[in-house]
Amino acid sequence: MKAKRHYIITWSLLLLVCLTSLLFGAGTLEIKQAFAVLTGQGSAEARFVVMELRLPRLAIGTITGLALGVAGALLQTLTRNPLAEPGLLGVSAGSAFAVSLAILFGASTATLTTLVSQAGALAGCALVIAATRIQGVGQDPVRLVLAGATLTALLLSLTSLLMLIDQRAADEIRFWITGSIAGKSWDQLTATLPTMLLAGAIVIGAVKPLASLALGERVAIGLGHRPGLIRLMVIIAVALLVGGATALAGPLVFVGLVVPFVARALGGADIRKTLWLCLPIGPAIIIAADTLSRLLVVPSEMPLGVITALIGAPVLMLIIRARRIPTL
Amino acid sequence: MNAPIHTPRETPPTSQVPDPQRLTRGYWYWRAKRQRWSLLIEKRALVVNTVLLMVLVLCSLASLAFGTLSIPMPDVLLTLQGEGTSMHTFVIEELRWPRLLAGGLAGAAFALAGCLMQTLARNRLATPGIIGIDNAATAFAVASVVGTGISLAPPAMALTGAAVATALAFGLAGATGTRGYRFIIAGLAIGAISGALTQVMLSSVALDDANAAYPWTVGSLNARAPNSVHALTIGLAVSYVLSLFLNRALATLQLPEAVTTSLGTHPGRVRLMGLILSVLLTGLAVSVAGPVGLIALLAPELARTVSRPGSIPLTASFLAGAILMVVSDLAGRLVLAPLEIPVGIVTALAGSPYLLWILLRKSPDINR
Repeated sequence: MKAKRHYIITWSLLLLVCLTSLLFGAGTLEIKQAFAVLTGQGSAEARFVVMELRLPRLAIGTITGLALGVAGALLQTLTRNPLAEPGLLGVSAGSAFAVSLAILFGASTATLTTLVSQAGALAGCALVIAATRIQGVGQDPVRLVLAGATLTALLLSLTSLLMLIDQRAADEIRFWITGSIAGKSWDQLTATLPTMLLAGAIVIGAVKPLASLALGERVAIGLGHRPGLIRLMVIIAVALLVGGATALAGPLVFVGLVVPFVARALGGADIRKTLWLCLPIGPAIIIAADTLSRLLVVPSEMPLGVITALIGAPVLMLIIRARRIPTL
Repeated sequence: MNAPIHTPRETPPTSQVPDPQRLTRGYWYWRAKRQRWSLLIEKRALVVNTVLLMVLVLCSLASLAFGTLSIPMPDVLLTLQGEGTSMHTFVIEELRWPRLLAGGLAGAAFALAGCLMQTLARNRLATPGIIGIDNAATAFAVASVVGTGISLAPPAMALTGAAVATALAFGLAGATGTRGYRFIIAGLAIGAISGALTQVMLSSVALDDANAAYPWTVGSLNARAPNSVHALTIGLAVSYVLSLFLNRALATLQLPEAVTTSLGTHPGRVRLMGLILSVLLTGLAVSVAGPVGLIALLAPELARTVSRPGSIPLTASFLAGAILMVVSDLAGRLVLAPLEIPVGIVTALAGSPYLLWILLRKSPDINR
């Protein structure tokens, strides 16, 4: 009964946020006009603004939020660390670096960018997993995050170095690197869709074994699962999701931390329930942040990454300041 | 009636009488006639600091000589004596010397602040750059530049920002204290919030204002106002002398609190003074060089490896910071010439792998 209420609340919240995102914007379009478009009327200009500018943004925000929320929940369960967040651990920075490298060498098609970004994310994931295997770091959730933050700083300064070398690439990278879903076309979205769907399929296949792995490696083996295979599948899914989201929206830190945090606060530690709750919460947070980024500094816009950092950093403080960091 | 709990020994052990020869091994000492003042100089520190000073001089000369226009060393020396050609004089006195001065002083200030903060938080990673104090100073300075209705000058705002972030970081430390990793992560969050606020301000103002504020956001030695270098010089000199007076009290902070108190040191007061000094140093250094925070970690680490174990190498950190900053700036100017890599990126590239190494070692003891 309680669980059902959570779903109803979160999904209706998402609907509300989506509606707000379509109705409000930085332009001169009035709310009444935007609403007219939604009911099938409205002027051509209003149609253009809502359908060609705001709707792709909404769609991209939805996909990004889904991907980052689910990836965060998966990575946290896998590393048994409530702070393991793709952005903080250097996974997003890995794909950002890979994309910058690709742009430097002249890549500009959306499909290629997505694949490169996912390859970078996979490399970042591999580094994270390697770090958890080191005695000491793996047992200390906070130390792992600190190592990840250092890796992020290193990769971001390498990216800045690339931007220095090539001015043309710099202009392309600069806006993207702060995280934004503005001015993206449907093409970019469709370029990431196949791999995102693949990742979704992997997640559906891996979630039950992963839930048993959360009870301990021996339990998982006893239930007939292979821990190594589960880990590999989850890592690939995380890399595909984070890489795809980064290719779309740039490296967004803290989203993968906040979304599962809220989901766990509502639904408890079971990974299956967490994932179900991540589905509405992830897009809702991204879209709300994006709408805010449009409205706060009218008529210009703020990078989306700024808003997510302003929401996420206090949550990080909240978790870290708790007397005892919960283990997963 | 009362049996003695322990029987006193017949003869006092000889070690109770301090043997001046043994106590002062490794030191030069000098004592005034009435024995009220004495001076104790550690030989190893003297050697280390002399070597560091020589390295600093060599690096500075190299920094004056190399660049887009390479000047041979004899000409550099001639120019410094005031006998160079007019072009050499212009390049060295107008372009390279102010930059060298700004870099060296800022590096020294960052390093001294880092060494102080590491010591009083008893945490190796608790340096201004890592716990977000640089970023906060930058955010406040940018707020002043872009004109959000605050009339304080940017350097003063940088100081305010550093103070606010330090108060926040140490104030929130609360029950868990400043030792261990949680303190550092909380600082990381403070840094992230400050960075985001900087972005908010930059994206909400007109392009001209944003461009004026841009130099504050990257660690670079370009385009600094001369008066902030003057402020840094004075602040650094005062803080250095004060921190030397504080050195003895800081050393006793390493002991358990009860021991510290019984030795006549007020731990809270010493911490507060150390914090004020490091805030002052960080704010002034940020106003000259921007957020080049990793120097504050690297230089004290370097200084500790060459100094006597257990000592607090204030002077060595000071010199090492200046050396690192001058060398990073030189490398940034030369590696991709004619492009110039901002010094903040050079230090991040050099420093992050080292920090990773500290974090990933098997049993890193970050607590001091």
